[in-house]
Amino acid sequence: MPRQVLEDTLTADSIAADSALAASGDATAFERLYRAHVARVHTLVRRMLDADEADDVTQDVFIRAWQKLSTFRGESAFGTWLHRLAVNVVLARRKSVGIERGRFINQEEPLEGLTGRQATPELSMDFEEALASLPEGARQVFVLHDVEGYRHEEIARMLGVVPGTSKSQLHHARMALRRHLER
Amino acid sequence: MNDQWMNRLSEYLDGELDSTERSGVEAHLATCGQCRATLGELRQVVARAKTLEDTPPAKDLWVGIRAGLTPGRRPGVSRDTTPARRFSFTVPQLLAASIALVLLSGGSAWLALRQGPTTTPPPESIAVTRPAGTRVASWTGSTDIAIGELEAALTQNEKRLDSTTVRIVRKNLAIINRAIAEARIALRNDPGNAYLNLHLADTMRRKVELLRRVNDMAAARS
Repeated sequence: MPRQVLEDTLTADSIAADSALAASGDATAFERLYRAHVARVHTLVRRMLDADEADDVTQDVFIRAWQKLSTFRGESAFGTWLHRLAVNVVLARRKSVGIERGRFINQEEPLEGLTGRQATPELSMDFEEALASLPEGARQVFVLHDVEGYRHEEIARMLGVVPGTSKSQLHHARMALRRHLER
Repeated sequence: MNDQWMNRLSEYLDGELDSTERSGVEAHLATCGQCRATLGELRQVVARAKTLEDTPPAKDLWVGIRAGLTPGRRPGVSRDTTPARRFSFTVPQLLAASIALVLLSGGSAWLALRQGPTTTPPPESIAVTRPAGTRVASWTGSTDIAIGELEAALTQNEKRLDSTTVRIVRKNLAIINRAIAEARIALRNDPGNAYLNLHLADTMRRKVELLRRVNDMAAARS
């Protein structure tokens, strides 16, 4: 299902009303918001972190969203607000598990390894699997830039790197992934 | 192939090079088939990224999330530490609970109308949430759905009422509906507005109460 499809399916009115009801304490309305957005949030988390963390982190995202509903001012779509919150939770998780900036930057070697492995024709890996196999830094930049549409300046701020590093990681990720395009 | 140019292809693709750099890349592309091919592949990667599909989790996570919605914690109040347990509730929570109670009683009345006087309403807790996948009577689940069901019941039952009563009820419902619509429109611009949230909750409660009373009246006349 393409991104944004749930927000397209559910009308903006119903989402706005549900977010208002949820902010007033209506957990049933919040459950509707959860069901409308869980696929997008879970997919984002799964791509940004390890798959086995995705369920826990997704739950954390929605619990934090419930706690922070008063900060949602309706200036953007609820889905956009929730998505940004999810990114922040993912990045906080990344820090909490000890992924330091140095490790983020020094990920050329495994990336080259992935590229080299895929140069052999007998190996087959679909695009999502290849994306999951990227080193974390390259994977996160690729997801944030090419999948989610963030700009390098935003990504650099979020990840605590300079924009040049974000651009470099993106290029390496694309170079690795081009070998996994479904033909 | 020249790594100097190859390494700039993504920036070229994203339109992030200045005019001088761009001209340099384009001049190189005119003479380097490998870089042209790589550029085409990179373009496909970017296009593929935009078509990746979202997939839901393998298991429903709502139960765990619901358990994390601390009963004593007002939504919208962010705290970094878990507060000491307090047996107190905020006004919005009380309103939400009151709506849930009204829905339960309204739904029970509606079920009684539909299924006859011997029908026992299904046991329900006061909780405003319910486990995912639990299918109970169709009037539960959301305020809007409950109101819709009660309105449908009213449509069926209003023939038991005299025309003057029906006219007054419809007029009052129209007023309430307008108030709900206006509150929702206002909340779109100011979702965190406590007064608007309370007003919407109170207006919806009034609507449920009116529908319940009218259905009770119709049932008494059947």
